[in-house]
Amino acid sequence: MGYPEGYLSERPPWTTLAGIRNALGRRAHAAGRYFAVFLLDAGGLGILWILVSYAYAWYVLHATAYMLVPWWLFAVGVVEGAALWGSFGLSLGQRLLGRELGPAEGREASARVRVRYFLLWHAFVLPGIGFLFDPPLHERLSGLRLRPRRIEGTAPAPWYRTSSGLFVAALLVVTCAAAVGVTISWPALARLFRQAGETADFWRALVSPDTSILLDAGRDMIVTIFMAVLATLFAVVVAVPLSFLAARNLMTGPVGRPVYTILRGAMSIIRSIEPIIWAIIFLVWVTALRSAFAGVLALWVHSIADLVKLYAERLEAIDQGPIEAITATGAGRLSVLRYAIIPQIVNPYISFTLYRWDINIRMATVVGLVGGGGIGQRLINYIWGVQYRQAGTVMILIVILVWAIDYLSARLREKFA
Amino acid sequence: MVCLPMANPYLVVEHLTKVYERGQVLALRDLSFTVDKGEFLVVIGLSGSGKSTLLRCINRLIEPTKGKIWLDGGEVTRLSQARMRRVRRKIGMIFQQFNLVDRSTAIANVLTGRLGYLPGWRALLGWFPEEDREKALASLERVGLRDKAYVRVDQLSGGQRQRVGIARALMQEPELLLADEPVSALDPATSHSIMQYLEQMNKEDGVTVIASLHFLSLARRYGTRIIALKDGQLVFDGSPQAIDNVKFKEIYGEDAEEVEVR
Repeated sequence: MGYPEGYLSERPPWTTLAGIRNALGRRAHAAGRYFAVFLLDAGGLGILWILVSYAYAWYVLHATAYMLVPWWLFAVGVVEGAALWGSFGLSLGQRLLGRELGPAEGREASARVRVRYFLLWHAFVLPGIGFLFDPPLHERLSGLRLRPRRIEGTAPAPWYRTSSGLFVAALLVVTCAAAVGVTISWPALARLFRQAGETADFWRALVSPDTSILLDAGRDMIVTIFMAVLATLFAVVVAVPLSFLAARNLMTGPVGRPVYTILRGAMSIIRSIEPIIWAIIFLVWVTALRSAFAGVLALWVHSIADLVKLYAERLEAIDQGPIEAITATGAGRLSVLRYAIIPQIVNPYISFTLYRWDINIRMATVVGLVGGGGIGQRLINYIWGVQYRQAGTVMILIVILVWAIDYLSARLREKFA
Repeated sequence: MVCLPMANPYLVVEHLTKVYERGQVLALRDLSFTVDKGEFLVVIGLSGSGKSTLLRCINRLIEPTKGKIWLDGGEVTRLSQARMRRVRRKIGMIFQQFNLVDRSTAIANVLTGRLGYLPGWRALLGWFPEEDREKALASLERVGLRDKAYVRVDQLSGGQRQRVGIARALMQEPELLLADEPVSALDPATSHSIMQYLEQMNKEDGVTVIASLHFLSLARRYGTRIIALKDGQLVFDGSPQAIDNVKFKEIYGEDAEEVEVR
């Protein structure tokens, strides 16, 4: 859309700061759009090829192989595959991002135009130089645009007649084939049925509990509940303020956006390390003398990362209306936070916290297995000591505890829904 | 060019322009008009014609790209954020979707209208003066919702919620009221009741009102003056009676038929 004559600025747009920012923004936006589509297409094709190679090598060659071809051939194949898919059809990336390649006017692009686009793609998209222009040079030269998909009068083709549908189907089939081939072997399957009798002692012990340890086990169970409560409470104290810094809609601008990105990145890294690994780290760190302390630290760190994500996503979903209204009354930023945002998030935050506490009860027993204290530690000690009757008692207690907490937390969360 | 006219109008909008999406979308194109104190100005136009953007530029919920706005002789487009907040206290606003905090009670929502007058620390503690609480009850009384003061607003009907919105605006003791499609989410009977509250504020309290409306019949009934927007441009500025069938087609397009709200 062009500007009406002389109306936006007396100066050409590229001589003003806003004009330059807009121009750069449009170029970066276009490049990002192409990059996202390419990443999805090339990534999808790459994964499919690796799985096909793996399944083929496993079943036919009885060997392990991931590519079957030299790596450079794999790379070229994936890039060319993505280019072909994007140029001549509606590729997976285009479909997922709601875009399609088509002429600026008119409905369908001819094969000749698409071939031209395919060649221009190599010249301008791959090296990235096309994006120095606005609209991108390859779009200008080919007459095709990567534009939002137009759903018009005709019914869309059923999924199995689209390339993306076939791609997903193929991916599922190959994944199943590869997974079955790798994890299940006949001898192991046979052992599963033939050697069940060898564990009979264990099962017998489970149904004949040793009641003499109930008092000690109960004491450990209280330790486990305490671990979960402490870890959750301390995590809330840290996670609530952090969640505001990790909410995309609140963190805008040149300072806010990097803070958001770094914080969310750090949180997902912390979250991807399981509590059991954190427990081992902290056991080494704070020594094993007070093992429950290490367990609490492990749960605490993981809970922070988890809660920040849950809280921040809720913050991103709040209704903007009250923010607008309270700002319009002349209230300051803190008042807007206090009166427009916090009333919307208190109940969801409580609900998420209860949910995480429920998880922490279960995690506290798992953390105990590696020496993080509580009932889990007692269980693993009995198992290593071949005291199956005592172990069985503890397991029954854990089941009761987890069931009770699960029920309690669900009922409480109903109140805060 | 930028000299104030002799009569000193209450609100002056000059060459107001708003551009969205990195220069691609023009929401407002070079709008200029004035509003006198005590007017009931109705803004009409199709959805997407820039009505909401215009209202939000006046209290700078949206920053204009270009152009100037004077309110009561002061240039609001030049104010710092802190000074803008002081100006906003005197500008009430009500919204199409009411924009209330659903989980709070009616009186809690109404009290937020005083936030601009409260020191920051008192606001954070929720420590409103007793006279504000009395004023909040009086505002609710005025819109006929005294008995709903301690009910959560998500329990109220659409018309009742918009009345809570009006009571919140009343708390500001506004000189100017911006109403962004205040009745678009309401049925015709309720629409009139809401519009009558606005009319009352305009006539009895001398509040200048700028309201965007969808229905021309409502605009004719309540407005003292109408401006019309089309694609962000001013296509009409005059008295309600001056909009005839030809003008109507110009604003709403050839296919439009006028619908009455009674």
